[in-house]
Amino acid sequence: MKPALLEILSCAGKKTIPTNNERVDRARMSLQNLIMSLQRFWADQGCYLAQPYDVEVGAGTMTPDTFFRVLDDRDWKVAYVQPSRRPTDGRFGENPHRVQKHFQYQVIIKPAPSEIQKLYIDSLTSLGIDLQEHDIRFDEDDWESPTIGAWGVGWQVLLDGLEITQFTYFQQAGGIDLSPVPVEITYGLERLEMFLEEKDDIFSLDWSDDVTYQDLRAREEREFSEYNFNQADVRLLQSSFQKNHREAQRLVAKGLLLPAYDMCLKCSHFFNLLDSRGAISVTERVKMISQIRVVVNHIAQKYTSQEVST
Amino acid sequence: MEFLMEIMTEEMPPVHVKGALAQLEERLTEGLIANELVDRNDSYGKISVFGTCRRLIVHGIFVEKQQDKQATIIGPPKSVAFSDDGSAKPAATGFAKSQGVKVDDLEIVKTEKGDYVGINKIEEGKPTQVILEQILPTIIGTLSFPKMMRWSDSSFRFSRPIKSILCLCDRKPLRYSVNDISPTNHTTGHKIYSPKKLKVETFAEYKVLLKQNRVVIDPEERRIQILRQAERKLVRLEAKLHPDDQLLAKLTYDVEHPYVFMGSFPQEYLKLPLEVLSTAMREGQRLFSVLKGKKQLPYFLGVADAYKDPKFLIRKGNERVLKARLEDAKFFWEQDVKSSLKEKSKRLDQIVFQERLGSYQDKTDRLKKTVEYLADKLELHREKNAATGAAELCKVDLMTDMVREFPSLQGKMGGLYAKDEGYSIPIWKAIYEHYQPVSLDDSPPSSLTGSILSIADKLDTIVGTTGVGVEVTGSKDPFGIRRNAQGICKIILEKKLSFSFPRLLDKIINTMKDRLVKEKGDVKSYVLDFFNGRLQHIFESQGYRYDLVKASLAPGIDNIYHSYLRLKALDSLKDSPQFEPMIIIAKRVNNILRDQSKHKVNEELLLEKQERELHTTFSIIRDNILPLIAIGDFSKAQRMIFRMRSSINDFFDHVLVMADDKKLRRNRLALLQEISQLLGRIADYSLVVIEG
Repeated sequence: MKPALLEILSCAGKKTIPTNNERVDRARMSLQNLIMSLQRFWADQGCYLAQPYDVEVGAGTMTPDTFFRVLDDRDWKVAYVQPSRRPTDGRFGENPHRVQKHFQYQVIIKPAPSEIQKLYIDSLTSLGIDLQEHDIRFDEDDWESPTIGAWGVGWQVLLDGLEITQFTYFQQAGGIDLSPVPVEITYGLERLEMFLEEKDDIFSLDWSDDVTYQDLRAREEREFSEYNFNQADVRLLQSSFQKNHREAQRLVAKGLLLPAYDMCLKCSHFFNLLDSRGAISVTERVKMISQIRVVVNHIAQKYTSQEVST
Repeated sequence: MEFLMEIMTEEMPPVHVKGALAQLEERLTEGLIANELVDRNDSYGKISVFGTCRRLIVHGIFVEKQQDKQATIIGPPKSVAFSDDGSAKPAATGFAKSQGVKVDDLEIVKTEKGDYVGINKIEEGKPTQVILEQILPTIIGTLSFPKMMRWSDSSFRFSRPIKSILCLCDRKPLRYSVNDISPTNHTTGHKIYSPKKLKVETFAEYKVLLKQNRVVIDPEERRIQILRQAERKLVRLEAKLHPDDQLLAKLTYDVEHPYVFMGSFPQEYLKLPLEVLSTAMREGQRLFSVLKGKKQLPYFLGVADAYKDPKFLIRKGNERVLKARLEDAKFFWEQDVKSSLKEKSKRLDQIVFQERLGSYQDKTDRLKKTVEYLADKLELHREKNAATGAAELCKVDLMTDMVREFPSLQGKMGGLYAKDEGYSIPIWKAIYEHYQPVSLDDSPPSSLTGSILSIADKLDTIVGTTGVGVEVTGSKDPFGIRRNAQGICKIILEKKLSFSFPRLLDKIINTMKDRLVKEKGDVKSYVLDFFNGRLQHIFESQGYRYDLVKASLAPGIDNIYHSYLRLKALDSLKDSPQFEPMIIIAKRVNNILRDQSKHKVNEELLLEKQERELHTTFSIIRDNILPLIAIGDFSKAQRMIFRMRSSINDFFDHVLVMADDKKLRRNRLALLQEISQLLGRIADYSLVVIEG
């Protein structure tokens, strides 16, 4: 082999020696420490720390602590962990990067502070990441959720090529123009932890000093992948979708908007399960999504008009 | 006077930056000119623009102020202002007062309407700074971006939130405000390395200061830095970047300080096709792949917004992410080859192409028929089987995991899987290439099988979507009909494919059976019109004169390749001495025939010598030209037409077309009609514009 090539290859294999600071941080690193650090950081910024919502959602954005609270013009600061289910991403626990359930860390601040990017960068620094040694990029990536009539403008944040965060200025939710504009920061907790632990297998992450991601989640991934892809009863899901949809409509009419919204979330989850069962055609997909969106938009309109009248 | 402005924002997409810089330059220039901020040579000075994803920068050298102007202000008529004895009436004192001068300063101005009272005043020009303060808020506030956002409680919209504005005229900050942000005389350095305030006075200083603080403001300089650094990294490997201008352009704007790093990935992933490797690298991580000759090496190059990577953290982080992506890609490949394309094709009926136009199985069935028809018409007997074989499998890769993950690999993956299964070159290449050309600068398929499959597929989409009522408007083109039509023309012209286009449309419309909502005739004429428009656009953008383009497209599109040959012939003859006289004659013939009903030539009624002669010449020429037209040799055909000139001239000089005798008149018109008809098969000469 040519000497030049050898040099390059030996670099690739060489372990860099962490600085003292980093060694300390690394030893403490675990998912629960990561969560605690973020909780501490955002609580210090005045965020109320919410608890995860108890209905299945595809993303932290869909929970009431985000969806309803961005609609009105009152100040709002919240941060929370939200388990998020994406049935089609399941890989029976065999893929080192894909899981049908992952954990998001969701931050919503309204109005968006003008120094929010700096705050976000500070939050990474608070995790012990020395950004002067890394490449952090805000890469154009506008976000959209047709199911809840929401879209925003922003970036995916890449840290040395790894997408660790979705950073969005909300423009619309429930089909309503938002004013003032809220900012949403969604950290992918597993991604971030993989970066911190320099690991390339999600299941090898440490949840705490003694418990690994594997211990906690492997069986769940296996069983739910089997359920999502092969076992979920398509007819039951279809009729559940329709029943919950009707219930949502009925509840909106009665002005019970929070329960109505729960029904929409359930519809959305049934829809995702049907999708992973391969039971939705292109045209059905469009139709079902719009079915949910219509009710959600209706909820948003009623919610904002109630806000005005109270 | 030196002008410097820097609008700092959160990270804007590269397209937004380029668009905004162009708008700033244009509008500022317009503003200077409109406000007469020009020197004696009518020059407004000089503007240059620079930018990064976080900065829009304008530098200018402008005149100090508007030039002073001598102005005459006219007041009341002399007779109203002054008595005959020269004493001032109230009108004069009032006017003088309103102008702030004494009555003695009033002068008499002679106008067309008589003598008036007036004053001569020197209007002092406004300083540039004042005018800039007036026009800049509007210029900045009305910049437009492909997608705009709000970020506070105001309705102000921009690409991304504006953080600050630096704006100096001769070292001093200007006073104005945009969305409550007022200009200052400071900027900040690199977001991570040097986020501190930097005070600025001049552009020269600004440039140096920012460079010291890890920001290179000139995109061209950054681009060159990226290429140089890349070259240096690769020289030891004797390798080069897989060229990707789009990626390079994006990265040039995405970073304020480019640092190129090289990384590697395990050899085992080299088993993946080059297309998959480079797509996995480009999408997501924005990495360049590295080639030695045509061979992919297990390395990549990335561009970081940094100036060093002493601990190789950036490189190792990227290596980890890439390895994960390649592992995914390998998994997809292995999954996909578990079943053959043929087996997968059984599920084509489960994916919808378009609600009314049916599934991809339906589309595949139509494509097979169309491809077979085209192969016959083009006498591609050897390619026919391969082409229909390719048509059968070309859409199957839409169901593969790889294409679901990397949609931009559609077609290519199908081709690669077919190659892997051992299909012949004409088959796998046709599948591989059948989306080409995907853009205006993309090349058409290299294979003939791919070319006809591509035409069939694109035209099926055009006819189908048009027929079910999908409209193309300025901004809306959901099925890419415009791009598809352009692609078809490109293939036909570059591959010199000669066939009847309207008949191909008939064929495709028939394959649609009762799926179309619109009348078949309407669909056909709409598509023909649409292609006429596209061809006109293509030819004009190639630099052909618009009237020649119109003239050669006027006979209608029968054979697209022939339309092009007609134009080329017309264009090559436009400078010959016979050209103009021939055009003039053709126009004369057309004028005479306007509004005349059709007649037939009766040879016995050709009385005059010149009309007999013209008829004979015409008959001979026609018999010679028709075969030439059939094979598309329009240069020769046109030159032959020119030979009729003297006979036609003689005819017009000696024969009265509009004779009193009805029979003679009709016969002569009939002769001209036949000639005109023949001419019309080559071009509508009357549309050619003659200068002077």
